[in-house]
Amino acid sequence: MRNGKVALRTEGVWFAYREPDWILKDVSLACSLRNVMMIMGPSGSGKTTLLKVMAGILRPQRGKVEVLGIEIQRGVSRGLRPAIGYIPQQLGLVRSLTALENVLIGALSRISPGRGLLGLFPGHEVEQARAAMDLMGIGHKAREKVFRLSGGERQRVAIARTLLQHPRLVLADEFVSDLDLPRAAEILTLMRQVAEQEDITFVMNMHEVQLVQEFGDQVLMVSNGQVLHECSAQEVNLDRFTEVVQ
Amino acid sequence: MKRDFWVIGLVSLLQGVVLGQLGFFDVQRLGKGLLNLGRFAGEMVPPDMGVLPVAGKALLETVQMSFAGTVLGFLVSLPLSILGTRRLFPEPVPALARLIAAAVRTIPVLLWAIIFVILVGLGPLAGTLGIAVYTVGYLAKIYAELFEGTDPEVLEAVRGVGASRLHLVRFVVLPEGANALVAQLLFMLEYNIRASSVLGFVGAGGIGFVMQVYLQTLDYQRLATLLLLILAVVLVMDGISGWLRKRFLLASH
Repeated sequence: MRNGKVALRTEGVWFAYREPDWILKDVSLACSLRNVMMIMGPSGSGKTTLLKVMAGILRPQRGKVEVLGIEIQRGVSRGLRPAIGYIPQQLGLVRSLTALENVLIGALSRISPGRGLLGLFPGHEVEQARAAMDLMGIGHKAREKVFRLSGGERQRVAIARTLLQHPRLVLADEFVSDLDLPRAAEILTLMRQVAEQEDITFVMNMHEVQLVQEFGDQVLMVSNGQVLHECSAQEVNLDRFTEVVQ
Repeated sequence: MKRDFWVIGLVSLLQGVVLGQLGFFDVQRLGKGLLNLGRFAGEMVPPDMGVLPVAGKALLETVQMSFAGTVLGFLVSLPLSILGTRRLFPEPVPALARLIAAAVRTIPVLLWAIIFVILVGLGPLAGTLGIAVYTVGYLAKIYAELFEGTDPEVLEAVRGVGASRLHLVRFVVLPEGANALVAQLLFMLEYNIRASSVLGFVGAGGIGFVMQVYLQTLDYQRLATLLLLILAVVLVMDGISGWLRKRFLLASH
């Protein structure tokens, strides 16, 4: 871990869509500020559910979830909400809007409802959105509708939208799983740079061992709704992962 | 396979019984009906084009009624359908909104026209209001179902940035449903043009009144002109909406 301060902590978290079919069983973890935490685990192991619980989208039946020192297990306050960025597996982009409009959605929590409804974003927000798109290398695609963009470009739009939120913590759910390895590595390099520049803590679900080793700091292995093993990214290899999961 | 056979057999049997009860196997009656149809069609030819000025004016009123009624109904149905979307509002709000739409839909457009003739008197105002209210019932249901189908992951992601409910509607629900929204609106306009052509029967304005007069006076040649005019308007509407769909809707996917 790079820093002693904790950005995200869960203690004894239990979650079930319908009790007693627990998806998460007594999950406790901690992620330091500015760390990149990778969560690995087989399909159906509860990774997505864990991420949603940590993003405050799902409320656990038992246990405690703390983001930046604030408990969120009973809901995320309006003030804290923009500090938590969440990128779902399918990215959650509005396909019929342009790339720029999608990125500007990240600023919605800062503008008045009236302006938001009319789509009148202040000039400085538009500038910031364009800057985030430039940073992601998609500035020239601003006016393009999202459904016309390639997979990699969409990924960049999703990250730019999250950046415009000014988050302190970003939770990303296997969001590069649809890309080939070189493209996924390209996106993760960008994310890693952004994490360092903007002081953002990243937690992401990832199944590609090579990417975990290259881009992660801390690794959590989960299976059947439980944390089985925690280690540094350098310690991870396929044999170790298979051994732990089995 | 065997089950399918039994189901098809049972449905066919039921259909046969129902058709029998409705008089579909009364050959003598049906034969007489066919003869009457031939005579009726014969009396319509050639259509009397002398009524074109009167019919044209009445038809214009019908188109105005349907257009205004559809737009009014659309404007009311939109917020009602948003309130009826369970992904956006907690119960009992959606249930209540859907109940209102269902109650409005229960009453056919002709009956709404009669109600408005009683309320606001004879003429196109009653017809326009009747069409508007019927449109609310129909579109509110269709749109609520459409909005319900919005990708929950997109809603989750946008809600996650701190967007309010109105923002969700503006930036997710409406843009994602825009194509189907317009397609249904065009369909409703086409439907309302056809439906409003009979509203004159109950004094609610439009070409229906003229149609009723020609029917009662057995003036089938003039009636034929009216039907041809309605057909022309419906075809033009089909053409316009087809062009709009192709130009704006298909282009976006």
